[in-house]
Amino acid sequence: MTTTEKPDLSWLDDVTMTELERNPYRTYERLRAEAPLAFVPVLGSYVASTAEVCREVATSPDFEGVITPAGGRTFGHPAIIGVNGDIHADLRSMVEPALQPVEVDRWIDDLVRPIARRYLEQFENDGRAELVSQYCEPVSVRSLGDLLGLQSVDSDKLRDWFAKLNRSFTNAAMTEEGEFANPEGFREGDEAKAEIRAIVDPLIDKWIEEPDDSAISHWLHDGMPPGQTRDREYIYPTIYVYLLGAMQEPGHGMASTLVGLFSRPEQFEQVVDDPVLIPRAISEGMRWTSPIWSATARISTKDVTVAGVDIPAGTPVMLSYGSANHDSGVYEAPSTYDLHRPPLPHLAFGAGSHACAGIYFANHVMRIALEELFEAIPNLERDTGEGVEFWGWGFRGPTSLHVTWEV
Amino acid sequence: MGFAVTVGGRRVDCAADQSLLDACLRAGLWMPNSCNQGTCGTCKLKVVGGEVDHRDSPFDTLTAEERAAGLALACQARPVSDVEVGGAGDRSTHPLRDLTATVLEVADIARDTRRVLLGLPEPLAFSAGQYVELVVPGSGARRQYSLANTADEDKVLELHVRRVPGGVATDGWLFDGLAVGDVVAATGPLGDFHLPPESDDDGGPMVLVGGGTGLAPLVGIARTALARHPAREVVLYHGVRGAADLYDGDRFAELAEQHPNFRFVPVLSDEPSSEHRSGFPTDAFVDDVPSARGWSGWLCGPPAMVEAGVKAFKRRRMAPRHIHREKFTPADALG
Ligand SMILES: Cc1cc2nc3c(=O)[nH]c(=O)nc-3n(C[C@H](O)[C@H](O)[C@H](O)COP(=O)(O)OP(=O)(O)OC[C@H]3O[C@@H](n4cnc5c(N)ncnc54)[C@H](O)[C@@H]3O)c2cc1C
Ligand code: HEM
Ligand code: FES
Repeated sequence: MTTTEKPDLSWLDDVTMTELERNPYRTYERLRAEAPLAFVPVLGSYVASTAEVCREVATSPDFEGVITPAGGRTFGHPAIIGVNGDIHADLRSMVEPALQPVEVDRWIDDLVRPIARRYLEQFENDGRAELVSQYCEPVSVRSLGDLLGLQSVDSDKLRDWFAKLNRSFTNAAMTEEGEFANPEGFREGDEAKAEIRAIVDPLIDKWIEEPDDSAISHWLHDGMPPGQTRDREYIYPTIYVYLLGAMQEPGHGMASTLVGLFSRPEQFEQVVDDPVLIPRAISEGMRWTSPIWSATARISTKDVTVAGVDIPAGTPVMLSYGSANHDSGVYEAPSTYDLHRPPLPHLAFGAGSHACAGIYFANHVMRIALEELFEAIPNLERDTGEGVEFWGWGFRGPTSLHVTWEV
Repeated sequence: MGFAVTVGGRRVDCAADQSLLDACLRAGLWMPNSCNQGTCGTCKLKVVGGEVDHRDSPFDTLTAEERAAGLALACQARPVSDVEVGGAGDRSTHPLRDLTATVLEVADIARDTRRVLLGLPEPLAFSAGQYVELVVPGSGARRQYSLANTADEDKVLELHVRRVPGGVATDGWLFDGLAVGDVVAATGPLGDFHLPPESDDDGGPMVLVGGGTGLAPLVGIARTALARHPAREVVLYHGVRGAADLYDGDRFAELAEQHPNFRFVPVLSDEPSSEHRSGFPTDAFVDDVPSARGWSGWLCGPPAMVEAGVKAFKRRRMAPRHIHREKFTPADALG
């Protein structure tokens, strides 16, 4: 900024959570234009909204990871997204082995393709489907569920859990006094967690005695002295991170990519005809509607100036990657889905030491799911009798996607 | 100082301190990428020529073995020489050759349609369905013609040519003055319109649709497919305007005798007929085949027919990766 004059941001006082969840883009477009780093009262936090400022804060040595208040209330401590130093390093070393590219390459196809086939078989001859609940979400949760060792938990249960954790995690509204404005909003998350514990505790008991190749079993044992396991209280917050974001987002990503493609029928056609274009279509889908729209944050470790704003040590800043990916300084006509736009990196998977650990896995889950979908139903059409609505500020994607085809 | 990075035949300038990914993206050439900080592995590629400096590529993302095998992270690697990047699963192709052929036969086989046989001094390695490019004498113009041969018919190339009124190659040469004994300059083989290698061919059902002389490559492909799996289901539609445009009926009748699951279906678009189907060949397919799941489809001829065929095949739920197409795009539209 070249001027020291502070923009008048009083309009931010009127922004509500409901409005952000319905459509955050209007508010954030104005933030990007007027104050790329601004204090947003309803969130009780500073918010970074442009690509440049999000990247700067996410990767700055003067910031470290912190969980948002509602996130911390939902997940507890130590969740991988909110810790730093040795604990963060330990949790990353715990989750990363199963997600390394060489490792993922070994089994991803055999894991995801049969799952995608199985869900497709249930509706591919019906001529109509609601893809979010019948395909995108089930493929997403089943793939990760099986990887984690949760084969015994059915897909609808996993979907129910992420939906409840999501609403709790993003119950972000704060009062002026810095209290949660809607404490009731955490109840369903608490109920989900109680249910998760009731189901996962016995599995953990078993894995402690009989380790197997499931990811959570590895989390308990890997890197521990013989006879010892990581304490379950220590890993539960990160299990919740998985049961929310990692379960939900590949489904969001697939569905948003499909909606984006449906908005460009000729591009939809190109991608169906040439599956090699699917990864690019997904990448643009992630940019266009970023699944983790604004869910993670960083906190300053000393007094710093960012985007012309002086912020003292210990100030949290929320990273609005979904807004950064609509930065018109980077992308022309950002709200348009365009498979062929000049290919520039996006921030949908975050940046810095807290960047998404599951990128490679997630990209392949989404790719294989769309490959199988287009292979089985190449004549897919959006059911234009039904609208498509997006929901979410913290996490965002279409709530439903009705399609038809000739059988 | 800068280097050239070649990706799939495209050359992109890359500064010594620029990542391969950055150079490609800036040149408008998309490649998979997500984190841009070396931690996700999405941008992994194979360096097939030249050398790169892996810089900060973490060993977790790019193992020592992968480095040794020539893999690199595009978002981290900097060129230290000109670099060539391998495409996904480089397919081996038959080497392209300059050919000097002799005209062995010119025959009028249907209305405005000729069969031209070209003798080669040396056998040519190609896959059934590929094409050659002929140099039009005098004008230097180049025109593509598909081979109707199977791969073992490698010394006499069979072309089917349709006359285009006022056309440089057809009206001006192949239908005017071309004579047995003439020497023709050509290059080939070209194109990716051909069957998968025999080891990948499971003998699944096939539908082939040729418009006019678009029949040519299908003649080679159908015979090759049936030689591999004599009992496989193969339906060949030949779309033409009228009965006068049909040719090679005997040849297909003979093939049908040897292969009970082969059918040849001529379809006339502009002429009512008691003997033949009428309409467009792609519509005939939609009427005949209720589901093409598990089939492969082969389309060759005028671009509009090929497009209609893709739609028809998808409508019958054929997997798009099994839809193969060859468009006879006029030279002045090839760009
Ligand atoms: C991969 C490939 C394979 C091919 N294989 C064959 C083949 O096996 N047999 C075959 O007969 N042709 C084939 N063609 C088409 C062939 O290459 C020539 O384009 C065609 O013979 C016309 O060339 P010309 O020089 O006579 O006409 P040109 O001088 O190039 O064209 C004269 C005018 O006619 C128009 N025109 C050209 N073709 C058509 C058409 N079909 N319908 C209407 N207008 C037209 C042009 O736009 C131009 O205005 C193939 C084309 C491609 C790209
Ligand atoms: C399309 C799907 C996904 C998207 C868009 C996505 C996006 C993100 C984003 C934006 C972050 C925060 C990064 C930051 O704060 O800078 C994140 C963190 C994380 N993601 Fe993902 N993610 C997806 C799927 C997954 C999956 C499937 C897994 C695991 C299998 C996973 C594991 C993680 C972990 C462990 C973190 C926390 C990293 C840390 O704080 O160190 N993600 N993800
Ligand atoms: S883009 Fe993630 S490693 Fe290169």
